[in-house]
Amino acid sequence: MTSPIAAYDLGRVPYREALEVQRRAVTARASDACGDAIYFVEHDPVLTVGRAGRAESLRASDGELRARGVDIVPVERGGDVTYHGPGQVVAYPILALSGLPSGRDLHRYLRDLEEVLIRAIAAYGLRATRRPPYTGVWVGDRKVAAIGVAVRRWITFHGFALNVDPDLGHFDWIHPCGIRHLGVGSLRTLLGEAPPRREVLARLRESFAGVWDRPVVEAPWNSPVQETLLA
Amino acid sequence: MPVTIVVPQLGESVVEGTVGKWLKKEGEPIAKDEPIVEIITDKINIELPAPAAGTLGKITVPEGTVAQVGQQLGVILQAGESLSAGAQAAPAGGPQPGARPPAPGQPPAPAREPAPARAGTAVAEAPSGDDQRVSPAVRKLLRENSLDLSSIRGSGMGGRVTREDVLNHIEAGRIAASAGAGAPAPQAAPGSAPGRAPAAAPPKPLKPIPAPAFAPPGSREEVVQPLTNVRKKIAENMLRSRHSAAHCSTWDEVDMTALVEMRARLKERIKTTYGVNLTYMPFIMKAVVRALREFPILNASMTETEVHYKKFYNIGVAVHRDQGLIVPVVHDADRKTLLQLAQEIEDLGHRARADKLTLNDIQGGTFTITNAGMFGATASTPIINYPEVGVLGVHLIQERPVVRDHRIVIRNMMTLVLSFDHRLVDGTPAVQFLHRVKELLEDAESWLLDSI
Repeated sequence: MTSPIAAYDLGRVPYREALEVQRRAVTARASDACGDAIYFVEHDPVLTVGRAGRAESLRASDGELRARGVDIVPVERGGDVTYHGPGQVVAYPILALSGLPSGRDLHRYLRDLEEVLIRAIAAYGLRATRRPPYTGVWVGDRKVAAIGVAVRRWITFHGFALNVDPDLGHFDWIHPCGIRHLGVGSLRTLLGEAPPRREVLARLRESFAGVWDRPVVEAPWNSPVQETLLA
Repeated sequence: MPVTIVVPQLGESVVEGTVGKWLKKEGEPIAKDEPIVEIITDKINIELPAPAAGTLGKITVPEGTVAQVGQQLGVILQAGESLSAGAQAAPAGGPQPGARPPAPGQPPAPAREPAPARAGTAVAEAPSGDDQRVSPAVRKLLRENSLDLSSIRGSGMGGRVTREDVLNHIEAGRIAASAGAGAPAPQAAPGSAPGRAPAAAPPKPLKPIPAPAFAPPGSREEVVQPLTNVRKKIAENMLRSRHSAAHCSTWDEVDMTALVEMRARLKERIKTTYGVNLTYMPFIMKAVVRALREFPILNASMTETEVHYKKFYNIGVAVHRDQGLIVPVVHDADRKTLLQLAQEIEDLGHRARADKLTLNDIQGGTFTITNAGMFGATASTPIINYPEVGVLGVHLIQERPVVRDHRIVIRNMMTLVLSFDHRLVDGTPAVQFLHRVKELLEDAESWLLDSI
């Protein structure tokens, strides 16, 4: 399996719009209208509630969130409540599971996503770890990346959010993924300064390629693919 | 036979999942592979595809309940089946409700490719000889042709008989029948007696070679039509060009990524402001005119004794019409803005297809551009629009892997082909001209501003 995975950087995209792009990409991928792809995006502040979402995971009141213009979007991924906002690198791999080393082993797919993050973070000299039974990636006891995945027709969607330089105060709106006793961190707080987004994307592409043993190639987000997915 | 929906193997470490949302209600029709129910495990929500088509007969595990791998979640009924039959048939075929954890030390391989197919789709899909395993379209086709399903070999999944199989079977029968009447029977399977109807033949070991669909053997029909004047003229011009010019082609790959981006940014605004569709053609024409100024030999023509260098730039654009190809000309393209070019090219195209071009519209060209990419071609070698000496073929813009800075990246690439009259134009200026067009297209932003 050496067919390349196209990596697109969509830049700042409203959450609901990116969700629509993902859903269309899944449909297109399932019918082989396009190949495997990873979409990198950044969102305006938004709270997304996975299928395992619980009301008590939300700390901020509806009114408070509305006043700040924060959208709350129910989504089909697994997991509880998640915050997305500026300063995060969000990755949505839209991949046929049959082409991955994990095959249809979904837990292995989650562990592979963690491995991608761990290797990319290691490039900055930080030792990131897993914290079983939770899913995600931690440096010390600070959670730096959240993961939530969905699968439709054996095609993956949703993915992970890596905290590069988000406003950590926004995480006070929720108990991240329902976990109350662990804090949240970012590459900026851990390194003292935020690495440039382009560089983080390059490191993530490299570690995706390493973990899955597939070429991951940077592709321009202004192509016929875009016209199909935004049509 | 009713098909049970079970929780498939989802990984070595996954032994159970929570039933999320049922995406279908009882009684609702279901297409095969359509997402039917969500199973939620730690951080993952997986939508199970329907193992078969039919209707959702019964939901046995409601939303929010934990289900074990292998447990039955519901039953899909196929045409003509009732729930009671389904409810009884299901446990017999499927695993017992309850836990079926993966055996410790189970090798990972079976959990990958084959396992989901087994667990996800097959549980109750025992082989059955009746026609419930074929689609309604196939059943109709069988009925209409009085055929027996068992006489046809299926090429679909699990030996399922598809519509194509039935059509091939009918076609094979027709050919064998005509073989009996004395015509050659190249499609007859080895060993089958001539003239014997395959419907009665025993199942063959291999799928018969499909017969051509276009005409039965024996037909030698030709349709004779007089040539239209347009076609006569096209034929005459093409042949004159081929006989007169010494055709030679050279090509190059252009990275259109920046231009694709620029056009994407501009096209909506230009459409709403000026009502003009901004295609790539005006950009290409601008680049061509600029390059022609630098390589005047490509904007020339020749007689037996002279070269005629044109100091004007009339660029033809080949337009496809049902009546036949025509090449309307944008006159003085060097003195028009990008938007004027866009508008004029669009207008000429409309009038060409509506047969409303004037004589002036198709005369006086000095160089031609032809876009075979519009119909999907990635490369072609165009014929020169004689007595011009060069024609540029532009093609499909598509994402291709290319090497940049020692890395493979995906870019929007297009193949450019220049056909030139080698009597007048040497290879060097031809290649240099084409390279110049490439450079200009790849860096359009830098020169478009001073030429708009």
